[in-house]
Amino acid sequence: MWQKFMTYIYSGANDPDEIRRRQIISILSRGLLAVFSLALIAILIFLALNPDKWQAAGNRLTIAIALVGILSVVGITQINHRSSRLASFLLLSLLTIVSIFSDTPEELANGRSLFVFTLPIAISSLILSPASSFFFATINSIAVTALAFQSNTLPNITAIAGFFILAIISWLSARGLEQALKDLRIINANLDNLVTERTRELAEALTRERIEAGRNQAILNSIADGVIVFNAENRTILANPALSALTKAPSESLTGITLSEFVQSEDLSPANRKVITEIIEQPDRIESGIRVEWGRKSLSVGVARVQDTATRENIGAVAVFRDVTREAELEKLKENFVAVVSHELRTPLNAIMGLTEMLQEGIYGALNEKQISITGRLLTNITRLLSMVGDLLDEAQIGAGKLSIKPQVFKTSLLLETLHSTMDKIAADKGLALASRLDVNMPENIYGDHQRLQQILINLVNNAIKFTEKGGVQVSILKAENNHWKMEVIDTGVGIPEDEVPYIFETFRQASNSEMRTRQHGGFGLGLSIVKQLVELMNGRITVSSQREHGSTFTVLLPIETGH
Amino acid sequence: MIKNFALVIEDDQDLSDIFSKALQTAGFEVEAIRDGQIAQQRIQEVVPTVIVIDLHLPHVDGVTLLKQIHANTALDKTRIIITTADNVQAEIYRNLATIVMVKPISFGQLRDISSRLKIA
Repeated sequence: MWQKFMTYIYSGANDPDEIRRRQIISILSRGLLAVFSLALIAILIFLALNPDKWQAAGNRLTIAIALVGILSVVGITQINHRSSRLASFLLLSLLTIVSIFSDTPEELANGRSLFVFTLPIAISSLILSPASSFFFATINSIAVTALAFQSNTLPNITAIAGFFILAIISWLSARGLEQALKDLRIINANLDNLVTERTRELAEALTRERIEAGRNQAILNSIADGVIVFNAENRTILANPALSALTKAPSESLTGITLSEFVQSEDLSPANRKVITEIIEQPDRIESGIRVEWGRKSLSVGVARVQDTATRENIGAVAVFRDVTREAELEKLKENFVAVVSHELRTPLNAIMGLTEMLQEGIYGALNEKQISITGRLLTNITRLLSMVGDLLDEAQIGAGKLSIKPQVFKTSLLLETLHSTMDKIAADKGLALASRLDVNMPENIYGDHQRLQQILINLVNNAIKFTEKGGVQVSILKAENNHWKMEVIDTGVGIPEDEVPYIFETFRQASNSEMRTRQHGGFGLGLSIVKQLVELMNGRITVSSQREHGSTFTVLLPIETGH
Repeated sequence: MIKNFALVIEDDQDLSDIFSKALQTAGFEVEAIRDGQIAQQRIQEVVPTVIVIDLHLPHVDGVTLLKQIHANTALDKTRIIITTADNVQAEIYRNLATIVMVKPISFGQLRDISSRLKIA
């Protein structure tokens, strides 16, 4: 019980009304303090002016009340800091006591000062609890009744009834107020929760974003290739550490610079500078994977436009620089190796060929039929071997960019004449017909590298014969549209499987990877690759159309050029 | 002076034999030399109808020899056949020779070509 009471008295910390109550008490206390002080000053002035009135009991009582009042209010103010409830109760009690002594019993019970008793009733419902107004109505009714008996009159029933009516009104209004406050507090609390929740969500989203951004940065940083991003104004906005390592430029110096500043590196030759500038400015026009030399490194550059996912608007370009120094070295080694090996192979092969020829020609005495046949077979195989070595050397030279086209004016018909003199026997040996046709619209003379054109034609026909078992090969030299001419080689052979057509011009590839086919037809698979590269060196184009088991058609389209 | 004399300057023994035999078959009197320095000496002494010369030679290379041959007015009428395995070099030095032959060179081919260069 006592504990409950103490909890009630000292519930301040948990009571949301505590602060409000404390403030009201504080105002009331100050008001009362002012009233008591003024009363004390007034009575002291009055007594100073009328010293004969010192003896009047009423005046001394007033001074006493005023002093007690001042001390009580100071005490209550102190208590108010610890428990506003207790302070409220004491303040109301003080008010009641002061009321009792504020006038003569007659006036208080039935006269002009009856109203003072209403003050504690009204205030109590505001600062203590709504129901406390009934407690003070009761106390004050007792006080009024007592005062009435003291002044020998009947208790003022009307006043008592009035007190209780006031108590009811105070109770109702205070309760309403309390309810409204409670609702407000709930709304406030909900609002607080909402704000807290939103703040938390926002913080989480921010954290997520930061993690995401950090992850993207980590990914970018861990890419071994150099990555640099340009905005629409060709100013760099992002560069990863790999690029900084490749270009030997500090990371921070790579962002926020223009394209021309980016390629200003001393390690770049003017030609490479131009290449990089062009590919970044016009990524759609230039094939990706272009090689540049940056200092001692060989880099492969790939550039793609960056488009806004929503508007499809160009917002810049991303360039990826891959270090291909090792690959470039290996390629060079390979080219050198192939060149040296094929060169060194040629000398002994040439010797074998010459010596066999001499045997066959009877330089060292006549041979019998069997021996002549054997030397013939020797020669055929040596020739095959030599042509493979020749292909390897050609491939190496094209790869190294050493092979150039030497055009001259020559008779168009020469191409077919030489073709027949070289290939007729090979076709006939296989039982195939080799037919050729020269378009009457073709110019009589043509400007081009005769040796290389012949090589192309012989290679294509040789290939056609290789993959044809019956039927024949038709070769045509025709005038084409737009000042072009073409060489067409049509065979009736096995054809090329559709899925392999795109790869047949690749180095070391032979259509159909089955081992049997490779053995049957021999060769390195370099022929078509060389043909394609030669055709391209001549600004021409080679195409193939083929149907399985229905033969293939190879077409070489070349511009008609005029000699200078 | 021998009417149709040929110098075969080739360092590989077998090829030297083949080229010599081809020229002999074509009707030449042949002297085979396998060293650039010796060749350098010989071209000051003889006036061959044909010189068959490899570009890759020990001690003095073929190109140096070719320049000396062209500088020597006594050799103005001498026909020169360059033999090389390198078609890029063949292109570069084409103007230093009457004929450039890229290896592999066939016995028959050299025999036929050289026979056309003979002085009747």
